[in-house]
Amino acid sequence: MPTDFEPITLGGTGEEEVSLLEILDHVLNGGVVIHGSLVISLAGVDMVYLGLNVILTSVETALRNLQLAETIERRELP
Amino acid sequence: MIRVLPYCAFLADSRVELPQFGVDGREVKILEHGELRVLWSEVKWPYDPQAMQRHAVEFHDVVRQVFLKAAVIPFRLLSVFENEASLSAFMSANEAYFVSDLKRLASAVQMECVIYFVAGRPQPAESGTAYLREKAGLLQRIRKSAEEVTHALGSVTQDLRVREVRNGVRMFVLIERGQEKPFKAAVEAVSVPEALSRRTSGPWPAAEFLCEELRAPQAPSVK
Repeated sequence: MPTDFEPITLGGTGEEEVSLLEILDHVLNGGVVIHGSLVISLAGVDMVYLGLNVILTSVETALRNLQLAETIERRELP
Repeated sequence: MIRVLPYCAFLADSRVELPQFGVDGREVKILEHGELRVLWSEVKWPYDPQAMQRHAVEFHDVVRQVFLKAAVIPFRLLSVFENEASLSAFMSANEAYFVSDLKRLASAVQMECVIYFVAGRPQPAESGTAYLREKAGLLQRIRKSAEEVTHALGSVTQDLRVREVRNGVRMFVLIERGQEKPFKAAVEAVSVPEALSRRTSGPWPAAEFLCEELRAPQAPSVK
């Protein structure tokens, strides 16, 4: 089942490096899932998710720019 | 408002160095619950959206510090409780699952291998059918490559989950702690097919291999 958030589509620059996107993916999507009315306030979640979308977009943009920069750099190599 | 954010659970007999500060520089506290220990902090809720990236790294750092020395079951950055009593009630209700999984996964870590293609825009002259055909071909090669990686890993793998994502597959591989290098060597021995990319990461806590009860536990009802 495809997921909505895929760090892999944005690539990475080093095998050993843990990217911010991977960290975001794990801290948001990995681990114990909690259900129940006592857990969270819905309004708060809406706000967080709204903010999160903005953040993910900015990370994606940053990595896209990084990939673009790498492409340009490669083209400039003799 | 203030909420309680749990970071991770681990067994009481683990020899770990506890982090002092967590998300938003808040003090990391410890909840002792039978054989379990849970690290948590009070946090301001909802989070400031502008601080989410920083919070993610801070959360990760707390979990990582414990995970370096022991098996952990991580919580999620957006899972918060009303107060310490709610967290304690949750741990009481699910203690057996936590203890069982921590013992089962005591010496295991999770590695990941993602095989994917970078989606390009179809050329103007290209028909939609041709584009879809090309995409299907790529997905077939991705699946074949995943099979090759699985085969190459052989006995390094203790357990495996493969999940299809939008433009590839994501493999979650459970291995013995300390087998990270053999894992990476085995993956690297498999060539990456043309037009595809591959990325490995880890070790991570074995979150993908938790029992079903912990992947969707029930919180106790509060009246």
